[in-house]
Amino acid sequence: MKIRKALVTAANPRQRTLPLQTLIDPAGEPKSALQVVLEEAEAAGIEEFGVVVCPGDEARYGEACGRLRGRVRFLPQAEPRGYGHAILCGRAFVGDESFLHLVGDHLHVAHAATGCARQLIDVAVAEQASVSAVQATRESQLTAFGAVGGRLVGGERPLYQVETVLEKPTPTVAEQQLIVPGLRAGFYLCFFGLHVLPPELFALLEEQAAREPGRPLGLSPALHALAARRRYLAFSVAGRRFDIGAPYGLLYAQLALSLSGRDRDRVLTQLLELVAARAD
Amino acid sequence: MSVLELITSPEAATRDRALDVWCAGRDLPALLAAAEELDGYRRREDNLYRRVRALLFLSALHRYHLPAQPGLNRLGRVPPDGFRHLLERRFEEAITNFRRAQEAHGPSETLCSALAAAHHALAFQTLADQVRRTVRGTQGNAWMFRLGHPLDQPLRVRSDLLAPGGTGPHPLLRERTPVRMDLTHCGWSDIFFLGMDYPEGARVLNLSVDLGVHGRDTGPRPPIEAYFRVIDEPVIRLASVDLEASATLATLDDVFDFGRDYLGLLKAAVIAAGIVPPGIERSGAELGALLGAVFGPGRGCELVSSVNRIPKGSRLAVSTNLLGALIGVCMRATGQIGALEGPLAEADRRIVAARAILGEWLGGSGGGWQDSGGLWPGIKLIEGAPARPGDPEHGISRGCLLPRHTLLGPDRVPAAARRALQDSLVLVHGGMAQNVGPILEMATEKYLLRSAEEWVARGRAIATLDEILGRLAAGDIRGLGQALTANFFGPLQTIIPWVSNRYTELVIERTRAAFGEDFWGFWMLGGMSGGGMGFIFAPARRVEAQERLLAIMLATKRELEFSLPFAMDPVVYDFALNEEGSVAARLEGAAALLPPAFYQQAVPGWLRRQARDLSPRERADLQQFTRAARQGGEFAALLPSLLDRLLPGTSGAEGEAGLLDRLLDGNGFDREQHEQIRTDLRAGRIGLARNRLPPSTRIEDVAPGDLFTAETASAELRAEGAAALRRGEAAVVTYAAGVGSRWTQGAGVAKALHPFAKFAGRHRSFAEVHLAKSSRTAAEHDTTIPHVFTTSHLTHAALAGHLAGIGPVPGTEALLSPGRSIGLRLVPMERDLHFAWQETAQQRLDEQKEKVRGSVRAALVQWARAAGEGADYTDNLPAQCLHPVGHWFELPNLLKNGTLARLLAERPALRTLLVHNIDTLGATLDPALLGWFRRSGATLGWEVIPRRLEDHGGGLARVDGRLRLVEGLALPREEDEFALTYYSTNTCWVDIDRLLDLFGLTRAEAADPVRTAAAVRVLAARLPTYVTLKEVKRRWGHGQEDVFPVAQFEKLWGDMTAVTECPSVFAAVPRARGQQLKDQAQLDGWARDGSARHVDSLCAW
Repeated sequence: MKIRKALVTAANPRQRTLPLQTLIDPAGEPKSALQVVLEEAEAAGIEEFGVVVCPGDEARYGEACGRLRGRVRFLPQAEPRGYGHAILCGRAFVGDESFLHLVGDHLHVAHAATGCARQLIDVAVAEQASVSAVQATRESQLTAFGAVGGRLVGGERPLYQVETVLEKPTPTVAEQQLIVPGLRAGFYLCFFGLHVLPPELFALLEEQAAREPGRPLGLSPALHALAARRRYLAFSVAGRRFDIGAPYGLLYAQLALSLSGRDRDRVLTQLLELVAARAD
Repeated sequence: MSVLELITSPEAATRDRALDVWCAGRDLPALLAAAEELDGYRRREDNLYRRVRALLFLSALHRYHLPAQPGLNRLGRVPPDGFRHLLERRFEEAITNFRRAQEAHGPSETLCSALAAAHHALAFQTLADQVRRTVRGTQGNAWMFRLGHPLDQPLRVRSDLLAPGGTGPHPLLRERTPVRMDLTHCGWSDIFFLGMDYPEGARVLNLSVDLGVHGRDTGPRPPIEAYFRVIDEPVIRLASVDLEASATLATLDDVFDFGRDYLGLLKAAVIAAGIVPPGIERSGAELGALLGAVFGPGRGCELVSSVNRIPKGSRLAVSTNLLGALIGVCMRATGQIGALEGPLAEADRRIVAARAILGEWLGGSGGGWQDSGGLWPGIKLIEGAPARPGDPEHGISRGCLLPRHTLLGPDRVPAAARRALQDSLVLVHGGMAQNVGPILEMATEKYLLRSAEEWVARGRAIATLDEILGRLAAGDIRGLGQALTANFFGPLQTIIPWVSNRYTELVIERTRAAFGEDFWGFWMLGGMSGGGMGFIFAPARRVEAQERLLAIMLATKRELEFSLPFAMDPVVYDFALNEEGSVAARLEGAAALLPPAFYQQAVPGWLRRQARDLSPRERADLQQFTRAARQGGEFAALLPSLLDRLLPGTSGAEGEAGLLDRLLDGNGFDREQHEQIRTDLRAGRIGLARNRLPPSTRIEDVAPGDLFTAETASAELRAEGAAALRRGEAAVVTYAAGVGSRWTQGAGVAKALHPFAKFAGRHRSFAEVHLAKSSRTAAEHDTTIPHVFTTSHLTHAALAGHLAGIGPVPGTEALLSPGRSIGLRLVPMERDLHFAWQETAQQRLDEQKEKVRGSVRAALVQWARAAGEGADYTDNLPAQCLHPVGHWFELPNLLKNGTLARLLAERPALRTLLVHNIDTLGATLDPALLGWFRRSGATLGWEVIPRRLEDHGGGLARVDGRLRLVEGLALPREEDEFALTYYSTNTCWVDIDRLLDLFGLTRAEAADPVRTAAAVRVLAARLPTYVTLKEVKRRWGHGQEDVFPVAQFEKLWGDMTAVTECPSVFAAVPRARGQQLKDQAQLDGWARDGSARHVDSLCAW
């Protein structure tokens, strides 16, 4: 298995400016959020990039791709019909091979020298299976993410066989269906915004769309169906995800990038000064 | 065979052997050794249920088997520290303390009673703790106990419950839920403990039904409705239209304050649904912030409940299903249940049922595991589910907390059979309201002890289910009726005799007489009979039966309403099977209407205010109501009653006040004395704290030579007494003026008339038992015995009617001595409430119930302040506002009302009276004791018994050197009581002539009302007046009851032992003679320890 292509979804009509936000990367270089996402994928060995966008965003997003502009294909989603539909827009671009999927509004900061996307692809190649990156997440944040239930299969590695996928479950439902042995009480495996997915996912999405015409198409039901049909894994990557669309999300992402890079001391000093200056 | 094998044996036959059988034939040392062995075992055993069985074995050994051993020392003392541990629910410490006392002083009946109580309480606490832990750990519930900050609240209201654009009235979500009927009566196998230990035996056939009150409602419908909506205020608004109560909760403390108002159930629902999760209690968080997280900034929610005025005590699990409906609607609204509208999926029903159990625990109540059956549709078999690996119960209990529901569709129970059941069954509420809590404890205990007869009966009850299911499936309703009747009169009454009562059996008997072969059977619903019940008839006569049964129940209630606690008049229901279960609908626009009764209660308040002062929500609701009323129907029909509420009338209150005045005037109410008592009470000159003797008083226990031991009475004394009886020199006086405040928790029925147990084939009242004893004594001594019942305004007419109904009892002459003293209850002083709750030792409740009790007490203090401390208590039925003024007045009343003079005139030989409490069932004119008393030459002779743990209220003591009885409330320190070996039975022998002499009267003067009244007044003034708090029930609505503590005063006959010119002697009598039945929960032990048999042996029927 070789993963050559990455599909990035960035077509949320309510968050069209998010991927264009400028951040300073760990090396101290100013970049758009989109470029940070694409470079993470590039570092994992991706050669071609497909970015699903709202129609009309191609030019602005093109500028935001920086040096990778030439390897990016924009895939307009004519109308907002759900996350699953956005993925489906990449079907022709992906073709008949497994691909890396990233979410345009999530940035990842690895806790190791290897980037998060690289870690995930390594596992997918080694296991010859589809894998979603997950992060143990407190139950209070469950309703912001897709979440998986399953069992540990990786021995010492945090690798899980996925049995259930639910989109934004309440903790009531999660406790009944998504308990994963070995996790702390009140924590669940939630998506990280990174997946290595098989081409058959598109067929699953189409089946789902046919079953419920007119309804927004989600990704989680298709992934749940995928888990029932073939070996589908979840891997808890060594890193953290940052949803830049959440309140203060961009700020937290920037801090995480800065504190993991060249300007760590400078930023930390500034933060401490800010804290110290506030007397009450 | 070791006693432990009954618990640990791998053989079911050994495990299911009764402890009673094992104990039979074993002597005292063998039983004490068994207790030691069990104690060691229960301390090292990890398995919960084995531990609990060992604890209950220990309790039974100490309660029944050791006291039955002749060699056991009867005298002992309970260490006060151990007793305090017991009250504070530190049961392990209490057991250790009692065992230490046993090692030091040897085993005794007194210590056995303490050890029995402590082991019993520890067993039930262990079981309750385990259920609670399992409820908390149930998947889907646990997260709510971890949540401690509003930012962590993960729930969000569904967007389709918000008005488009976020402005204007938000849509309503309505959940409609049926109630449940138990078609088998399951032998109480739906108690959580039983289901979790013996899942194979926990099986019920449970039906979801719609209901209407026959003659009032147009037809059956799901009686339970719960409404939810988002409101634009950062508060929770709650309203119960049946209880006419509403509240606005603005803080977390408001939400967790269960006892403050009648909305505890709605609060429990908000918590159990996770909107205000239990983990956030006492976190200091702002309720507004928490609600903002769920509903959006500045928003909150409103929850409204309605049970279509179905009376309380219906045995149809109305409150559990209402809780389920409320939780369900909240969980739908916050996305915890997949479907916003329509029926629930199986997984959703299970999580709602689990949350309902949690909610009941939070609210300090409890139900059975089948109670939320209304959430499911139609007919279902509910069975205990064995715990499997992965279940939170696995390794702890044999069964799961939640049972398994199997829906029985038309393939299992055909449509024709369903129709046939509905065509034959008449469902009723008999009107009685009783506490089933003690029954459930008894059922659990008997199951765990495998008591022989009861265990066989349980097996039969389980087998009955299959028979009932078979007959139902075949549409054989006649056979079904027979099976249900056999179950009621057979296994159920064998397990718990107290499930039946005189009322139920009379109604069955009269129905059978009225309908003959067309009455097919009786069906007991729920914990005990008298409330919700079913009667099965030939279909052709069902309609007629609805009317006639109501008439039969009403007539029977009228006969017995002074004997048994009724909360309301009986009603007949219309019912229909509900095949949908709980169903929700989203209502918007003109259809978004709350129940009509909601507007009936809210609209008058809105109309009294200026339109500009109304909030947008109130204005929108008023517009909705106006629009609906214009359309006609039930909303338009409300308009006249709305006008009535705007201008409330006062007619009823005037009527009751007039009746109260008449009762006061007609029963010797002393207004001058009443005002003096009020003044003293308000000034603090009298009160609970002032009842006590000065702290410097010396209280010492008596020495063996201070009293006579009845068991040592010589044949000579016995012969002397027997001769006196033959000569007609003795009479009996039974105190029957009281209403048994503890016996029926303040329900205000005459205790003397309560048909409490079956003797010679039917339920008999206390009065009948006492007459039957006198009858036997009379026959044995060839004489006639006058038997006087002292009465009060509360009991006189009822007792007179009762005695007339019984007719002449051979060898006795029954007389009534009407009370001549009456008091008017007062609103208590706040300091007396605090004294009663804080300064006197009280049983601590479990954590959640203690919290509820705390908030109820805070509300009662508020009530006392608002009603006016020391003011007349008149906000109740007149009979509940009056009180008898203590048993000191009972004998003087015999003088004042001329009863004694008449007796003496008719029977000049009469010399001695035996005076006793209504509940001292063993008291008889025993010839040996009569002989002892006559020979003593004393004025009064008192009977005492060796104290057991449960005997509170003072005892026999040397008080500053004088041998006398001292009341518990007069002891300077509560712990003084524990130093007293003997407890007063209040049974008293009276030498008539010496007593008259004490009053300064002769036999001739006893007939002079003026002289007797003056003599009584003089002696009364020398005796202390005690202030006490009594609980009275105030009934309202549809079977609802509130209990209020009210102040009253009393003088007590035992204080005569302190009067120096009144020589008293004392005799220690056997427990069987002196024990009293104060609480209905004692009945089972009383029957099991042989006391009932003993009483029966004293009677002639």
